[in-house]
Amino acid sequence: MRRMRIKILAFAGSPRRHGNSETLLDWVLDTMQKEGDVDIDKVILVDAEVNPCRGCNACEVLNKCVQRDGMDILHDKIIDADVIILSSPIFCMGICAQAKALIDRFQVFRSRKYVLKLPIIPPERKGKRIGIFISSAGQTWEHVFNGAIPSVKCFFHVIDVRDRDIHYLMVNGVDEKGAILKHPSAQKDAELLAHTVITDIRARLAG
Amino acid sequence: MSVRVLGISGSPHRHGNTETLLDAFLEGAGNAGGSVEKTILKDLDYTPCRGCNICHKEGVCIVKDDAPGLLEHILSADCLAVASPIYSMGITAELKGLIDRAQYIWARKFVLKTLYFPDSHIRRHKGIFISTAGLAWDNVFDAAFPAITAFFNTMGFEYYDNIIANDMDRYKGIRGHPTALAEARAKGEEVVRVIERLTPD
Repeated sequence: MRRMRIKILAFAGSPRRHGNSETLLDWVLDTMQKEGDVDIDKVILVDAEVNPCRGCNACEVLNKCVQRDGMDILHDKIIDADVIILSSPIFCMGICAQAKALIDRFQVFRSRKYVLKLPIIPPERKGKRIGIFISSAGQTWEHVFNGAIPSVKCFFHVIDVRDRDIHYLMVNGVDEKGAILKHPSAQKDAELLAHTVITDIRARLAG
Repeated sequence: MSVRVLGISGSPHRHGNTETLLDAFLEGAGNAGGSVEKTILKDLDYTPCRGCNICHKEGVCIVKDDAPGLLEHILSADCLAVASPIYSMGITAELKGLIDRAQYIWARKFVLKTLYFPDSHIRRHKGIFISTAGLAWDNVFDAAFPAITAFFNTMGFEYYDNIIANDMDRYKGIRGHPTALAEARAKGEEVVRVIERLTPD
């Protein structure tokens, strides 16, 4: 039997192109790309035209969002992906506003799952998806990512990525563009994480 | 001169739970003699921070929209009430968008060192965070606090208090909550009186 291809959907959430959080993401994606059996879709969030959630709660009844924008294209990709990756820098002790807008638009999945009690993904794929959160912060504080993580967990939980299947690659103390290149372990950490996730998802999809 | 109280509503919803709680706070502040004003973020035109860091050299934001004007206006207030509902365990993208745009003020303070708030200034400038959440979890506001703390610090306001109410889904909205609106009104009166006492004649 032909081996199933692994679908990777990655969001680069930073408004700064090719900065620290996107470089971390690229290290992960480059490593995954070398595996051969992966299809990678990298979405640059600032170009994706995802508006903030209006809080109208219409999705609790309609099972879809009333806004027509970039989410129309992303919706099916989010459901189809085996591995979903979100990268965002820390701005003012939280994820950047662009990434928060995407997370808030996942309200349509939350409504589907918890209000309408409809499936997000087909039953045969349940418990198989893996999520990765990638982040960089200028501050050296250990707690600099704490304000971001609860929203990131919401992002993954509502699309049926279990809490134990979320991986975190978070590097603090990198501020100026390119600072990540001088970090002693970040690139190796990114490559190792990519290997771990690909090995894991391949086994899950085969099983 | 009366105490200037500025309320900022970060909800995309007009007159929802969070804005109603903010209104109660502003009503109390007005009753105590404060000069009260409210800004609705969703009616303003601004984009999120681009992270270009040009403000680290220039001390100004190169993006010309409604955000810098509002941030300058905030600097002229005595009391800042920032209101946002909790969406996905955090503040709304609208409010986070504004907070991120304060980077140029942060840069003036910490990179260029052209702006400095003495302790006496910070003590008499009070910041209040107002929020509501549908979920009953006790920790539902926790992830919002760090960004709010950073914003008040940047803008020279002491983080005076929270006016927060969770479990909105059970109460069927803020008007069904037994104490929140009365507490918000009382807090509005209190903070205006506290700032008055700290203001030299």
